[in-house]
Amino acid sequence: MNPVGVDIRHVALSFGATQVLKDISVSVEPGEFFALLGPSGSGKSTLLRLIAGFNQHQAGEVLIGGRDVTGTPPWKRDVGMVFQNYALWPHMTVEQNVAFGLEERRLPRAQVREKVAAALDLVGLAGYGARRPGQLSGGQQQRVAIARTLAIEPQVLLLDEPLSNLDAKLRVQTRQELVKLQRRLGITTIFVTHDQIEALTTCHRVAVMDDGVIQQVGTPMELFDFPVNRFVAQFVGSVNLFAGRFEREGGALRFASEKLGRVALPAGVEPPAGEFDLAFRPHAVSVVDAAGPEALSLRGAVENAEFLGEFLRYEIRVGEGLVIADIPHARGRAPIEPGTAISLAVPASELRFVAA
Amino acid sequence: MRTHPGIVAIALAIAAFLVAFLVIPVVAVVYTAFSDGQGGFTLAHFAAFNEISLMRESFANSLYVAGMTVGLGTLIAVPLAYLTVRFQFRGAILVQTLGVLPLVMPAFVGAAAMQLLFGRSGSVNLILKDAFGVTLPLMEGLNGVIFVETLHYFPFILLNLSAALANIDSSMEEAAQNLGASGWRLFRKVVFPLAMPGYVAGASLVFIKVFDDLGTPLVLNVTNMLAPQAYLRVTSIGLEDPIGYVICVILVAFSIGAMGGSWWFVKRRDYALVSRGGVQAPKRRLTPWQALLAYGWIVGMLLLVLSPHLGILLLSISKVWSFTVLPEQLTLAHYATVFTESKQMIWNTFLYCGLAALLDVALGTAIAYIVLRTKLPGRQLLDHLVTIALAMPGLVLGIGYLRTFKGVELPFGGGALTASWVIFVLAYAVRRLPYALRSCMAALTQVHPALEEAAENLGAGRWNTIRRVVIPLMMGGILAGFVTSFITAAAEISETILLTSRESMAPMSYGIYLYFQSVLGRGPGAALGVIAVALVAFGTYVSHRLVAARSPHQSGGGQ
Amino acid sequence: MKTPAIRALALALACLPFAAAADTVTVVTSFPKEITTAYKKAYEAKYPQDKVEILNKNTAAGIAYVREQAAGARPEVFWASAPDAFEVLSGSKLLAKIGPGNPAIPAKVGNYPVNDPEGYYRGQALAGYGLMWNTRYVKANNLPEPKEWADLVKPVYFGHLAISSPSRSGTTHLTVETILQGEGWTKGWEQLLAICGNSAAITERSFGVPDGVNNGQFGIGLVIDFFGLAAKNSGMPVEFVYPSVTAIVPANIALIDGAKAKDAGMRFIEFTLSEEGQMLLLDPKISRLPVLPSVYAKAPAGYPNPFGGQIQAKVNFDSNLSESRYYVVVSLFDQQVTFRHKELVAAMKAIYDAQKRLGGRKSAQLDEARSLVLTPVVDEKQAADPKLLALFKAKKTDAEASKAKAKVEEEWAAKAKANYARAVELANSAK
Repeated sequence: MNPVGVDIRHVALSFGATQVLKDISVSVEPGEFFALLGPSGSGKSTLLRLIAGFNQHQAGEVLIGGRDVTGTPPWKRDVGMVFQNYALWPHMTVEQNVAFGLEERRLPRAQVREKVAAALDLVGLAGYGARRPGQLSGGQQQRVAIARTLAIEPQVLLLDEPLSNLDAKLRVQTRQELVKLQRRLGITTIFVTHDQIEALTTCHRVAVMDDGVIQQVGTPMELFDFPVNRFVAQFVGSVNLFAGRFEREGGALRFASEKLGRVALPAGVEPPAGEFDLAFRPHAVSVVDAAGPEALSLRGAVENAEFLGEFLRYEIRVGEGLVIADIPHARGRAPIEPGTAISLAVPASELRFVAA
Repeated sequence: MRTHPGIVAIALAIAAFLVAFLVIPVVAVVYTAFSDGQGGFTLAHFAAFNEISLMRESFANSLYVAGMTVGLGTLIAVPLAYLTVRFQFRGAILVQTLGVLPLVMPAFVGAAAMQLLFGRSGSVNLILKDAFGVTLPLMEGLNGVIFVETLHYFPFILLNLSAALANIDSSMEEAAQNLGASGWRLFRKVVFPLAMPGYVAGASLVFIKVFDDLGTPLVLNVTNMLAPQAYLRVTSIGLEDPIGYVICVILVAFSIGAMGGSWWFVKRRDYALVSRGGVQAPKRRLTPWQALLAYGWIVGMLLLVLSPHLGILLLSISKVWSFTVLPEQLTLAHYATVFTESKQMIWNTFLYCGLAALLDVALGTAIAYIVLRTKLPGRQLLDHLVTIALAMPGLVLGIGYLRTFKGVELPFGGGALTASWVIFVLAYAVRRLPYALRSCMAALTQVHPALEEAAENLGAGRWNTIRRVVIPLMMGGILAGFVTSFITAAAEISETILLTSRESMAPMSYGIYLYFQSVLGRGPGAALGVIAVALVAFGTYVSHRLVAARSPHQSGGGQ
Repeated sequence: MKTPAIRALALALACLPFAAAADTVTVVTSFPKEITTAYKKAYEAKYPQDKVEILNKNTAAGIAYVREQAAGARPEVFWASAPDAFEVLSGSKLLAKIGPGNPAIPAKVGNYPVNDPEGYYRGQALAGYGLMWNTRYVKANNLPEPKEWADLVKPVYFGHLAISSPSRSGTTHLTVETILQGEGWTKGWEQLLAICGNSAAITERSFGVPDGVNNGQFGIGLVIDFFGLAAKNSGMPVEFVYPSVTAIVPANIALIDGAKAKDAGMRFIEFTLSEEGQMLLLDPKISRLPVLPSVYAKAPAGYPNPFGGQIQAKVNFDSNLSESRYYVVVSLFDQQVTFRHKELVAAMKAIYDAQKRLGGRKSAQLDEARSLVLTPVVDEKQAADPKLLALFKAKKTDAEASKAKAKVEEEWAAKAKANYARAVELANSAK
């Protein structure tokens, strides 16, 4: 199978007076496992359904394999969609469900049977053909839905929140199976989710969406390490975020923040001009006796401590603000008591300045 | 928890009531059909039935009429249902109106007007004859019955079908489209099979109602069908005529069969498991050409469905309407006649139907509580017993009552039960109980048990909890059940014709039937019919408002 | 908790139409609302302590009803058109012997006794039978105005007539008997079958005919006179005429034996026969013929007067004959006409088509077809056979008799059906 790319160019979509997608442009490479990540209402499902043909955009182009599919009805697009609730037909057996798309393509019966068996085999449900969806567990139903879509060997695979209806343990297992499947088949896959962990662990690249706009597109690590704005910084991983302004006093650089007060910035840090947020991840914070010159130094009192197994999460009151620090836990080490005054250091390389 | 002895007593009392006024009369009828007059069992009456060609013909005709009504009704309903559910269609409100209109007028009342509009020398045929020289035998014989019944019942099928279609998660259709299906294949392979259970439930109910209907064939003067034959034989040959009872047994058997069959069919295909809240797809747009066709079809149907109502209205104000397209010489004299002469009948209707409805909601509430809130063994039996009442043709129950309670005297010198107004209340109550029970059950399921537990936790005993917490929270459903019982009883004619012996006991529905037999025209009957329709329409409206007003108060917070 | 509900119930019970201390006259009658309401109002105005209760039932149902009541609880008055109904009741000892009433009422009208010679019932009004037609319908379809029953057998009337079934309507039975007695069994049936073949429908109740003629559904109907006259006098576009082969027969009123309120019942009966009661019959909505001759002086001009000889009643109605063969005639009509109407009409149509095709030429096949259609399947001798008559009078629960009766009826039905089918064949192949 030759994987194809999906191109969205300046797409705008409104439902009545509400604008749901505002000037979206994004490209998915052939064979890529791509995620659309965002909170509910961000437009990610709408974008996915647009690619499948269940919505109509008012401006822009949607290209699949280089061809503009605007106006092509869903049944002619050859993209396979796995629905959030699986949408298995209860009046048909598993075999009939999986065979559906093949029958629509008028394949001879023997070939249909072969392909159905192969698809079921691929998802580990060989021999389940005669059962009805009502007799299967949630996880099994999902696999049937996947098998049904893969049976027609679509150019693009669309997954609408595939893991959200599974219980926690199954979610992890299924997540890993999906990755393996995608790598093996090499099919271009677009995956919609609101869970950043799912997106980060499975995909090559992720597009973070909010309020109908794509905030940032990048690899998981790019998003985590170099968020371009406040939203991405907060959505992907946990973060310490403080609004403020850069001040130069003589040769020293300071960060004037409402919450933190005036803090000295370590040497070599070049912040942009104007209003920006100072951001650093909790795991980048260490408890020290004294901070070195290459680190941001903060002083405060421990307000709260949560034991999370691998690390201890401290909330430290610094000035008016609260700094979250994740300190790795070593066996036997006692947590710092609330009320204790401590010093914190954040290496200069871990500081980020993000737009609001 | 041991069941309160009071509850056991009530359950037994209810069971006794149902046995006395539902089971025994029906059993009496069935018994007579199989009895040889000396206490023995015989199939001779059934054999005699089979010998009489008129009976075989009536049987075939009844099946034919019921089947055709369902078939035609489905044909009309399917495009309308699909239109409203799947397309952006401003006519949706029109279609909903279609659904309500026939329910407010009993079929037999409209039949008289249909005769004048579509009969051999009716308005439509007069116009057709003048313009094209042809006439349509729309109201000839069985055609007339089918025509009237179809217009009366197709909205019922429409509503059921629409609900069934709307309940199909859109992802079912989208998944099929995604895999390449569209248009007719999509409908045949996915949409229709999923809508079937809802459709079958509605269609089977319509089949039963048409099969058992007495009023419409009588008004249209069609006697070669089962129900009119049973009525005619029992009234003119006498209560002893065994063939009448054979017919009753056939009616009952088919009714129960249709109900049971549809229940089994629906059970086998319990598709409720699938909806897990997908995104409902927006409705598709209609092309201008399609919109024209759609609106045309709907407006056409609306006019047809409205024709009995318009006809009855016209008839009620016409002095002379004979061999003309429209009546001449309009008058309000008929209304004057009706108001002066029929006050007793109007009062009777209020009395019988009001008491029957009261009885129904009392029983309905009690049964709902017993079934849903107690662990009394055998409580499901009460529910099933009541459901059986749904399948009982009014004709059969009427004959059963006349036979079983012949000679039974009311206490306190009230005279014979069969000659008193009490029998109306009982007969109406028993046959409307399923509707009231359904309302009460629905209302009670919406009351979270935690609300009752909180009351008990604060010291209220069972009775006080019921009185102060449960019933007030159920009130919307109880009132709706009351109104439904009332208006369906007011429109009832099958049992009424049989049970009315004296004119002063007659309710409005019988009065309309009686007035229709005047040589001087059916004007007064139509006037009374319009009053009845207004009453029922008002009641339906009130019932909807009551349910809508009460529902926000229902759940105690958690969903 | 229970008190408000119980109070409401008690209040409702208190408002009930319970039998008051005064007398209630229960009247079993097949007469329409116009006449019963008028009499009820007038009587209650005259005797305020009495109440009148109307039980509206067609004649056969009325007889069955009276039979089923226990003595002492029966209704008081039976009031209907068909004299044989009264014969049936008095034969079953259900009527009280009351003798003749108002002396001003003549003993006979023509040759027919007004009151029961044995004194069990009295004539209350007179009725004839005739033809009623819708003037607009007749004009629109170019039909000649009929004068006699015999006119209606003509092909021009095919599909435009209406008649009720004698089993459903006492008055239709009387009409049928009148024709049979007037023309004889065979010729009478010939006429009847031809008329029924020309009919568009056999209606369930007698009012179905005038009702249909009234609203233009049918062109011409066979009706009892007051149906036609009342409709015409109320402004409906209809006409009525008495053919010469008609009988004037009284509608009777009787006191039921074992009634609850005997005296009140008698009061009511006397009232209906008094001058005041008889005057009510002249109301245009009712249009019946009083039995009290003096009333005709106060009638509007042109009002039919049976005592003045305006109505030629050629037939001397023999009610004993009518009663004796009632069940056979009624059943025969049903089996050969009512339930086989579709086939009968088809046969007639085939014959008319053949006639047109042959253009007046004689044809043996056509004649045979005609005779097949127009001959009753029971001939005069069989109709008088006492064994046959007894079979029809047997008790309904007698399963054996019921089966045998059903068998006989089925034979008739089958024969009629076969005749009609054969007639169609012959007519279609007639040359």
